[in-house]
Amino acid sequence: MKYFLSPRVGVCVLAALLLLFPIVFSDAFYRDIGVTFLLAAISASAWNIVGGYAGQVSVGHSMFFGLGAYTPLLFYTLWGWPPLAGVPIGMLLAIGLAVVIGMPTFRLTGHYFSMATIAVAELIRIFTGTWSLVGGAIGLQGPAVARGWWDLTFRSELPYYYIFLAVLAVVLLTTAAVERRRFGFYLQAIKASERAARSLGVPVRLTKLNALALSAAFTSAAGSLYVIKTGFIDPDSAFGILISVQMLIVAALGGAGTLFGPLIGALILVPLQTAANTWFGGGGSGLTFIIYGGIIVLIARFEPGGLCDLWRRFATRIWRRAHAA
Amino acid sequence: MVLLQVIVGGLLLGAIYALFSSGLTLIWGMMNFINFAHGEFVMLGMYVALLAVLYLGGGVIGFGAAAALVLFLLGIVIYLALIRHVLRGPMLSQILSTFGLALLLRYSAFYIFSANFVSLPQTSLAGTLKVGGIFLPVAQLVAGAVAVALTLALHFLLTRTNVGSRLLAVAEDRSAAMLMGIRPDRMQALAWGLSAGAAGIAGALMATAYPWSPSVGETFGLIAFVTVALGGFGSVLGSLYAGLIIGLIEAISAFWLGAIYKDIVVYGLFVALLWFRPQGLMGKA
Amino acid sequence: MLLEAQGVTKAFGDFWAVAGADLAVEEGEIVGLIGPNGAGKSTFFNCLAGDMQPTSGRILFNGVDVTRASPEAHARAGIGRTFQVPATFEDMSVLDNVTVGAFLRHPQRNDAREHARRIVEMTGLRPEQAGRSLGTPGRKRLGIARVLATEPRLLLLDEALAGLTPRELQEAIALVRRIHESGVTIVIVEHIMEVIMTLTRRVLVFNQGRVIASGTPEEVVRDDAVIEAYLGRGARSHSRASGNP
Repeated sequence: MKYFLSPRVGVCVLAALLLLFPIVFSDAFYRDIGVTFLLAAISASAWNIVGGYAGQVSVGHSMFFGLGAYTPLLFYTLWGWPPLAGVPIGMLLAIGLAVVIGMPTFRLTGHYFSMATIAVAELIRIFTGTWSLVGGAIGLQGPAVARGWWDLTFRSELPYYYIFLAVLAVVLLTTAAVERRRFGFYLQAIKASERAARSLGVPVRLTKLNALALSAAFTSAAGSLYVIKTGFIDPDSAFGILISVQMLIVAALGGAGTLFGPLIGALILVPLQTAANTWFGGGGSGLTFIIYGGIIVLIARFEPGGLCDLWRRFATRIWRRAHAA
Repeated sequence: MVLLQVIVGGLLLGAIYALFSSGLTLIWGMMNFINFAHGEFVMLGMYVALLAVLYLGGGVIGFGAAAALVLFLLGIVIYLALIRHVLRGPMLSQILSTFGLALLLRYSAFYIFSANFVSLPQTSLAGTLKVGGIFLPVAQLVAGAVAVALTLALHFLLTRTNVGSRLLAVAEDRSAAMLMGIRPDRMQALAWGLSAGAAGIAGALMATAYPWSPSVGETFGLIAFVTVALGGFGSVLGSLYAGLIIGLIEAISAFWLGAIYKDIVVYGLFVALLWFRPQGLMGKA
Repeated sequence: MLLEAQGVTKAFGDFWAVAGADLAVEEGEIVGLIGPNGAGKSTFFNCLAGDMQPTSGRILFNGVDVTRASPEAHARAGIGRTFQVPATFEDMSVLDNVTVGAFLRHPQRNDAREHARRIVEMTGLRPEQAGRSLGTPGRKRLGIARVLATEPRLLLLDEALAGLTPRELQEAIALVRRIHESGVTIVIVEHIMEVIMTLTRRVLVFNQGRVIASGTPEEVVRDDAVIEAYLGRGARSHSRASGNP
């Protein structure tokens, strides 16, 4: 019994399920849900590095997502580059933006960082809407028909699913490596008490900055994946507040600062959202926000550790009871 | 002459910014807490004013008082039901709590009132005055003047009265205040009531002169951040000056650059402030 | 001279918490800092640890000026400190707490782990226990273990032994002694005279931001200025009559 509950087995089972999912559910509808789920999990896992592990709560992560989404299409529109070529540049730009935001705000308490992120995201969103080079309010279009495989424009969902899954694996493996190393220990220490961390020689500002840069790079990659699949982008779907909220809520619901929290959050939220859209009609995004807002408030009030923490407490209680008997 | 018109218009709007921002700075100063839902309080104040006019009748004073009272109570309820519990929790809970609240309030308003712009029906404040070659809508003039008066009143409440010194005592040192027989929980609830009340009445004042939709809360929330950052976190008088300055900058940049650029200028100012003078222009280093 | 503070002052507005304090500590010493509440010990202490920057004055460590260096630079230089209220990393185990400190000199995980484990053993804590489940004595002990893992040459203990039962206190005194014997120089702020009397050879007494007396513990407790500082004016004649301060 204990063997089946060990984390290693759990991870293998999860990986197998994710690999087999689109083959078992070959319907385009389910595959699309699968792709949406993977994108949500990638973005939230990226947010989790700085928001969960380092405890620096960004409420404007859409700025990095949007940079990653716009850059490939901008280079395609200007010079006809394949979108894939813009991905690393988008990641570099995101790292640059992370440094610009982190440098001043990480000297101060976490509230300043949160305020700065929401303001910068809004600033960029409004500015993008007025800038004709990037298509203004209309946005940008990618290649409609693939000129070659390198354009990554497919009719089927299947290739996207496996590309996204591979990226998710990279993000999670990186996070797992961070967790085990000095960097990860330092992040957790900073989250618990900056003053104590500093007294033990932790370079607090640099560590937070590194976490933000890593998180920004991955979030940018998520934005690039999104745009490679959809083929177009506009200011709201790149920099809109919903994008930031999604990352926040998926990570916090599953468990911010845990490796698999974002995955679990996405596993619950994405199907729920699809169901809600089916029941309330596609345009019911207002209602989605109301529900999201409610969930966020409830997590903050009752379960700041998210479902992972809830499960751990529950499991410990069962374990104790079983042993007492 | 046109520029003068723009300047006066900007200052009158800035006075209202000052009023609701003073509510945000009060909470920040007292408990080191950022309320992401503050703009939504302003937006709710506007709808309360509208409902009061439609269903209760009464003049400007009536719906202004209604907005202040409803939001005052809402502020206290939110403190008791939510904020009190997250104050000692992790940073994540603190930020999520009001951020989630903002979404909840904003989109509930969309759901109930729809996304259309509305304005108050004709009130007794209709008409314009012509002073020295510029036109002043009476509603804007009254709203601006009342907003300045109320912001100053809040400042005096905090600095010159018994209640104010009890509030500040809690802000300075919670446990010392408790030894003096002050109940911090009550004082903080009161602060939340005052903060939301100030936002509510600012909303009602704004509603007399400008049309709005549920999405204005987001804009006002950010403007309150900018104002507080400029005026110094925790200073009501600072936010009065800063509110007037922001209103002015916004009006002039809208006039010279075009209306869509005014937000860019204001948010850009915020980012620049956080970079160069995070303690605020009037704050101490 | 390992640590040298010269004319350190710290002002908060008009209030001078530290008004010109000097301190010189030789390598291998163990020095006590005592004084009534609000005497400025903690502020002075925070200046020494780099947590606060003095308004004026100089602090030299091993001949290098560290007056304006950051807390993390202090830790790197070999100055470790504990906190009055130990800021335990609640979500981490005891071993993980200590590992954070161990990473300073051992960047590789396995080395840091091993080093942390040795230190946890020495302090008698249980490595797998969760930080949040520790009581006050455990937290104080963990605070010492964590900073020991950074391998300091100078250890600043800020009321690290307050709030312990007599038995726990004896254990903690033994622990501090072991640390001292392993070659660490120690400056200790403490209210409990028993700790000062048994551990230190040299004591500095703080009052109103200044060092008002120094010497062996026995000398200091007989000093008139010290008695006055602790007990107020008029206490002097009384204590002299009874012959027991």
